[in-house]
Amino acid sequence: MTSIKITGVEKRFGELLALSDINLTIEKGEFFTLLGPSGCGKTTLLRTIAGFYRQDKGDIWLGEELINDVPAYKRNTGMVFQNYAVFPHMTVYENVAYGLKVRKLPAQEIEERVKSALKNVHLEGYEARTPDKLSGGQQQRVGLARAMAIEPRVLLFDEPLSNLDAKLRVEMRDEIRAVQKALGITAVYVTHDQEEALVISDRIAVVNFGKIQQVGPPWEIYKNPVNLFVATFVGKINALDVVLGEDLGPGLRRAQAGSLSFAVPSAGTENCTEAVLAFRPEEVVETDQAATGANRLSGTLVSTAFLGTVVSMELELGGNTIVIERHRPKKADIPAAGDKVEFAVPPESCFIFDKQTGARLRAKEGR
Amino acid sequence: MNLRGKRADVWHLVTFIGFAIVIIFLIYPLFDVFQYSFKNKETGELSLANWKEFFGRAYYMRAFGHSMFISLATTFFSMVLGIPLGFFTTRYKIKGSNLLTTLSVLALLSPTFIGAYSWITMLGRNGFLRNLFSSIGITLPPIYGALGIILADSLQYYPFISLMLAGSLMTIDRSLEEASENLGARATKTFFSVTMPLVLPSLTGGALIVFMMSLSNFGTPMIIGGNYLVLPTLAYNMFTSEVGESPGMASTVSIILMLCAAVVIVLQTWASSRRKYASMLVNRPVVKKLKGAKAFFAHLICYFIVGLSTLPLAVIVFYSFRNTSGPVFQPGFSLNSYKQIFFDVPKTVANSFIYSLTAVVLIALVGTLLGFVIARKRNLAVKLLDPLLMIPYIVPGTVLGIGFIVAFNRKPIFLTGTAIIMIMTYFIRRLPYSVRSAASILKQIDPALEEAGINLGSPPGRTFRTVTLPLMQSGIISGAIMSWVTSMNELSASVLLYVGRTMTMPIKVYLSVADGYFGTASAMSTILLVVTGIAMFVVNKYFNRGSDTFIAA
Repeated sequence: MTSIKITGVEKRFGELLALSDINLTIEKGEFFTLLGPSGCGKTTLLRTIAGFYRQDKGDIWLGEELINDVPAYKRNTGMVFQNYAVFPHMTVYENVAYGLKVRKLPAQEIEERVKSALKNVHLEGYEARTPDKLSGGQQQRVGLARAMAIEPRVLLFDEPLSNLDAKLRVEMRDEIRAVQKALGITAVYVTHDQEEALVISDRIAVVNFGKIQQVGPPWEIYKNPVNLFVATFVGKINALDVVLGEDLGPGLRRAQAGSLSFAVPSAGTENCTEAVLAFRPEEVVETDQAATGANRLSGTLVSTAFLGTVVSMELELGGNTIVIERHRPKKADIPAAGDKVEFAVPPESCFIFDKQTGARLRAKEGR
Repeated sequence: MNLRGKRADVWHLVTFIGFAIVIIFLIYPLFDVFQYSFKNKETGELSLANWKEFFGRAYYMRAFGHSMFISLATTFFSMVLGIPLGFFTTRYKIKGSNLLTTLSVLALLSPTFIGAYSWITMLGRNGFLRNLFSSIGITLPPIYGALGIILADSLQYYPFISLMLAGSLMTIDRSLEEASENLGARATKTFFSVTMPLVLPSLTGGALIVFMMSLSNFGTPMIIGGNYLVLPTLAYNMFTSEVGESPGMASTVSIILMLCAAVVIVLQTWASSRRKYASMLVNRPVVKKLKGAKAFFAHLICYFIVGLSTLPLAVIVFYSFRNTSGPVFQPGFSLNSYKQIFFDVPKTVANSFIYSLTAVVLIALVGTLLGFVIARKRNLAVKLLDPLLMIPYIVPGTVLGIGFIVAFNRKPIFLTGTAIIMIMTYFIRRLPYSVRSAASILKQIDPALEEAGINLGSPPGRTFRTVTLPLMQSGIISGAIMSWVTSMNELSASVLLYVGRTMTMPIKVYLSVADGYFGTASAMSTILLVVTGIAMFVVNKYFNRGSDTFIAA
């Protein structure tokens, strides 16, 4: 169990700045996720930790050890690859034993460790199989067992579930989490799937354009995004261009989007007029339940999508298209296309972002 | 990937060795060829005399014209034979199509001179087919010259077309043709607007290979060409003839030959890169079952084509068992020809095996290491080395032979008449194929596998040995076997380089034909054919490699 400290790391590929001034501390035993769109630099960062790339600037520490110049094969990090990278010419047993043989462990210990690793991933009895006889999910279990067997200082996951089907993905996700917690091993997990990140992580770093946008626990990332990118990348959100106007009493300010008028929190917006107003689909309230009359709106229903626990409704609203959700719908709740739908957006559910920089405008003390 | 910082490692050494090989065995001899070509024979001064003479005298220009004509005609007839065979065997159910493919590949891989020599025994001045035809009143045109070369070449090289066509026809997803039909196109419309465009790149590629092979072929025109000179035989004659020997002129011819080859290679690279349709093969194409007359004619065409190309080989095998007395065939059958080989020239047989096996070990070893460097270590030096290693593709055997004689007949490297020069000839001629094939095998191995090995604590060298190498193994071995076959059958360069004690089987066949010892030539050729056949069988059976391996060879 080891912490990872990354300070001022920069990596270029020719002209492309893949990583820019990365500073992170990943705690012992933490499940830490790097989340971002493809090409954002998250995999580059993971591979730099593994030693497959050498950063151009900055330091990486594993525990107390500065590992900048430690070759990849001496770093003792266990990596689980996106396409499994299970050795096709070896049996399951040989795959898991590979790293142990390299370490010249006594035969008996190798056997014990392979057994226990395979047990951890529920692959007992598969020792003699060859990878071509395994499903994708089973291959990825072999990859996981192989990485765990060497008792690495940290586990590195490079989008390990992206090649699996949806049901298996959920199953494996929970298993990875369980195994990691049981062993108490530090894990760095790369994914572009925000739902996966929210479920599996202790903390998430949202990455874009080679920069870390925000670091925090899943709840914090979702409920308190620091900029428009994080807000739109994690979870669904409606965003409207607004012009900020006059004060509307204590802590509120007018935000005008064409003919639509909103009351929004004014804290932090003092020096801004052009802004983006954003609110999550599930934050709207039914009009009849709205205590205050603030931000009452009426949209024309364009389409509905029934998702079981939720009905997602696409509305036309003053020239904008927005999405709102109604939870635990009953048949009678679902209006037809063309119907008017009335709802309200509580001012405290509105995020305001600077239109120029995308930065969140809020009270200085933050949360 | 930068795994070990900037420290020198084993791969730097491999790169260095690659450069050393290229410089000593390619650039140095070829540079000599250039020098000879631009030098005045008497004064040793820089001069364009050879070039003026080449373009000024009809004798030389005619050989150039011959070469172009032969190559074009061979390409044309190869397509005439190859396209129907490739199409019918992949799209229609043809009984024994595996046998057909095997036999056509055997014709392709057989030593180039066997076909020519066999057609002489059939249609030469006293050939049995000629006699047969004249007995029923038909006089066949003489076989010596252009006709014979085109006949033998086409029947040897058409499998390039049929195999490449079959390869790409089999990888067209059925849904594409179904989509066309679904959109309302008739079968013929679908064929010309969907199927043809998709297979055209590989068809063009195959045609260019045939052109190239025919252009640089030495054995066939030498044996059956008579006075009809083409560029390789012209260069050979200029270099070796006792009267009016002219290495300068031979060099000039060589350079022109290389330029032609380079143009073809450039065209080929362009053709294959321009329109390559990588398709995700989900639905394999359907093989239709023909009925009645259609089925009969499809079978007839396929069996006729393959039969025609197998005929010369069968005739050779047949003749090798005929009774002989000295150079003369006698009635009846015997093993005299074989006895003669093993009593008279066992050294020749041994030489062929020893040289080719030694060369193959080197080819496999060096080719694999260089292939790895080229596929996985793209630094500046490697980017420079990569095209240099491909030079042998455009150097016809005759040209390489001339270069070797000139370069290694003097200090500092004196190799004339040694076994080493024979082995190095085989080595250099096959090296680019081996490098290419190793590199392409590596490109199919996910780099993540090597990363996994390293991540699990195994140093790069050990990872290569325990992960990469085992995965490359079957590809390397089957490639090595193909290299071995081609080395065993090599004639065009070694015929310039051998001395009595370094004689090999193909050279002996060539000399026997020239001297009229047809029995010995047949027996020797049969041995080479059997070796070729066994190698093909092993590659097919034990390495599960399809016919693509043979085309790559």
